[in-house]
Amino acid sequence: MISARNLSFAYPARSRPAGGRPAVADVSLDVHRGARLGILGPNGSGKTTLLKLLGGVLTPTSGHVTLDGVPVGRLGRQAVARRLAAVPQDTHPAFDYTALELVLMGRYPHLGAFEVEGARDLAIADEAMAATGTREFSSRYYSTLSGGERQRVVIASALAQQPELLLLDEPTASLDPGFQIEIAGLLGRLHAERGLGFVLSTHDLNLAASLCDSLVLMRGGAVVAAGPTRDVLTRDGIAALYGIDADVGFHERAGHMVVVPVGRIAP
Amino acid sequence: MSVALATSGVAPARPVRVRVLVVSLVAVAATLGSCLLAPLVGSTSINLARALDWSQPWATNVDAQIFFIARLPRVLASALVGAALAAAGVVFQALLRNPLATPFTLGISAGAALGAMLVLTFGGVFAAAAWATVPLASFLGAAGAVFVVYLLTVARHRGFSTHVLLLAGVTLNSLFSALILMVQYFADMTRAVQTMRWLLGDLDIASYAPILAALPLLVLAFGIFLWLPRSLNLLALGEDQAASRGVDVLRTQRLAFVSASLATGAAVSIGGPIGFVGIVVPHMVRLLIGADHRLVLPASLGFGAAFLVGCDLIARTVMAPVELPVGIVTALIGGPFFLWLLVRST
Amino acid sequence: MIKAVAVFAVRCVIVVLLLGFLADAQTRPQRIISLVPAATEILFAVGAGPRVVAVSSYDREPAAVNDLPRVGALIDPNVERILSLKPDLVVVYGTQHDLKTQLDRAGIPHTAFTHGGLPDVTAAIRAIGARTGDGAQAETVAKEIEQSLAAVARRVAGRPRPRTLLVFGREPGTLRNMYASGGKGFLHDMLHTAGAENVFADQLRESVQVTTEMLLTLRPDVVLELHSAEGQADVSAWQSLPSLPAVRDQRVIVLSGSELMVPGPRVGRAAERFARVLHPGAF
Repeated sequence: MISARNLSFAYPARSRPAGGRPAVADVSLDVHRGARLGILGPNGSGKTTLLKLLGGVLTPTSGHVTLDGVPVGRLGRQAVARRLAAVPQDTHPAFDYTALELVLMGRYPHLGAFEVEGARDLAIADEAMAATGTREFSSRYYSTLSGGERQRVVIASALAQQPELLLLDEPTASLDPGFQIEIAGLLGRLHAERGLGFVLSTHDLNLAASLCDSLVLMRGGAVVAAGPTRDVLTRDGIAALYGIDADVGFHERAGHMVVVPVGRIAP
Repeated sequence: MSVALATSGVAPARPVRVRVLVVSLVAVAATLGSCLLAPLVGSTSINLARALDWSQPWATNVDAQIFFIARLPRVLASALVGAALAAAGVVFQALLRNPLATPFTLGISAGAALGAMLVLTFGGVFAAAAWATVPLASFLGAAGAVFVVYLLTVARHRGFSTHVLLLAGVTLNSLFSALILMVQYFADMTRAVQTMRWLLGDLDIASYAPILAALPLLVLAFGIFLWLPRSLNLLALGEDQAASRGVDVLRTQRLAFVSASLATGAAVSIGGPIGFVGIVVPHMVRLLIGADHRLVLPASLGFGAAFLVGCDLIARTVMAPVELPVGIVTALIGGPFFLWLLVRST
Repeated sequence: MIKAVAVFAVRCVIVVLLLGFLADAQTRPQRIISLVPAATEILFAVGAGPRVVAVSSYDREPAAVNDLPRVGALIDPNVERILSLKPDLVVVYGTQHDLKTQLDRAGIPHTAFTHGGLPDVTAAIRAIGARTGDGAQAETVAKEIEQSLAAVARRVAGRPRPRTLLVFGREPGTLRNMYASGGKGFLHDMLHTAGAENVFADQLRESVQVTTEMLLTLRPDVVLELHSAEGQADVSAWQSLPSLPAVRDQRVIVLSGSELMVPGPRVGRAAERFARVLHPGAF
């Protein structure tokens, strides 16, 4: 569905860190419908930038991204938004919106210039909120919700776009373990029930292990490994990426692979 | 689908469509109401029947003269300026993602003030030049400030950095304010008082000419305002979030900046830099009807108009026959309002 | 013996004269600085001109001041400059309290000039004359002014007094930001002497900001616009209110000149100019 070839991106000169290396260097990957792809890497490895490039929010300095064969830049922004929905790490609205208002904003790509949400849009929003368990907050202000509740509302807003693929940027990074499991469970359910694929960027090895069936490992803006999770998430792979010694195994009760960091490897 | 809606449990108080209509109607009613009632009140009592009596010759009908020359243009100017400043406030707050932004945050009023100061102080030098009038000079000054700020904002990269916009605006504000003080310093006593007076706002325009001159700009600005609200809602979430929901962020930002600057520049050229309207009205409106810009923008237009008409009414009657500058009235209302907001939120 | 007495007498006279001269020199200020343009004019009029060593930034009259150094004005007096010129009398504004304190600390005598009505002008002339040791000349000047004012009043006596708006500032090209004389102050007094009735006679302040509604309610018969400098004074803006008697009867009159707005020795001349345009038939 999404095809990225030789993507490179460098932030404008002044905001680049000293040394000036590009944020993403010559990355190529493919995402098919229904994928459960994880982008793993340490901070600063270019995960967020890569996600923005895949979503068409950033334009690469070289290389291209195509959506079903059409370059993303040529499709209108609304056309892209009808197929891809992004969930950032956290969302801070500048004004006090209610949860429902936020979810309804996901209907923007489906509405005309002066069109106002109608019954159908409300129904879709309602459905999205039901799927994320946020129906009871609909008239509450977003600012009064907890971290986990907020993130679920944002996911509901993304679902309201009726996308074919979700792009999530460290969706659980600022949440406590309870909410982490909740969000992970939600994504798993959405995939199982609707076949909704996602691309997830994280540095949480266990999240990636539990949710993703294929991984892309990034370091310094470049891809260092890519492939099915069980092939890529190995002790050596993790050591090369993070410089830590970790045990990787299958956990019976959890039903998926787990990673247990044991110690740091001397560089 | 309808089954889903019936069992949904999600039933907003009224569908958005209806709310937009209701709010727009109330806003229009507030504007019309204030515009119709305000000319009847003033420091001199007039007889409405006599004022509208066409049989009386114009030259001797003082009531009609006061109504049509002194009051009506003034009320119309107040309505337009109030609507423009309130709406510009809403748009700047959305553009800068900061509820404390005002139409004057980016230095527009300072540029306008500098233009007006130069004409007021050195106007005698250009006495023969018909173009050297205060409204035109203040508009040119405002346009100049906007131009510089915009150039600085887009110079560094192809995008539109609101961060740079804010910094450039605040810097320009300080620079222009310093220049204004310098010009005032070199003026003689009468001129210094006149320039100081202009800074406090004055809606006694006495003729329809300033309104007509500013009208095309205001119509253009208001037209763009109609298009912005939904995009502004999404922009409030953040530039990336808005883009990933299909908003053309760059176009929205440019249009927001241009329309709000136009409205502010036109408003300041009519009545001078009247403060507090651009921040009190948007906040009051949001307190009453929420943050959805599709409601807040029309409501601010209407209530901004009514608010300033009311403030001007107070300004010209409370100490009659002497007039209080309207900027003082808006400040005396705005200040306590913000104190109350602060107390209420803690 | 007579010779000895005569010589003694002459010596006494010389000593007395010398003493008198010295005493005079000690009480008569020799280095005067004026921060008030009106006071500067008064100083020159009473004969203290040659002893003025510096004036304010806004001084233009008489011509001799153009060669003198400037020391600032009401808002920005340059204390350093003032002190460096070693004055023995400084004429300041009544409200310049900080400056007065600084002069006191430096031991420099000062006298305050306050704007007021016409009687205050002649009083100020006499006071300044006394202070500079030119009492006699001051008295002459003051009397002259009083006589010329009385003469003007006589000329216009008995004539109907037109309701007049005396404007001394407005925004070029429009009728906005307009300031007129209230019912207090020397402008109002001059207007009254010249045989007119100030439309703002009941406003007991020196300046009033004029609004359109006021203009339409007060309906002045005459509008007198004062400009301090020569130059094109454009009164076409008044045509936007054609129903005002002053506009209708074409009695919007512009007067230019530096003597018109200074409460100094030329007020008599200024009042006469007012009277000439208000009551041309009397001259």
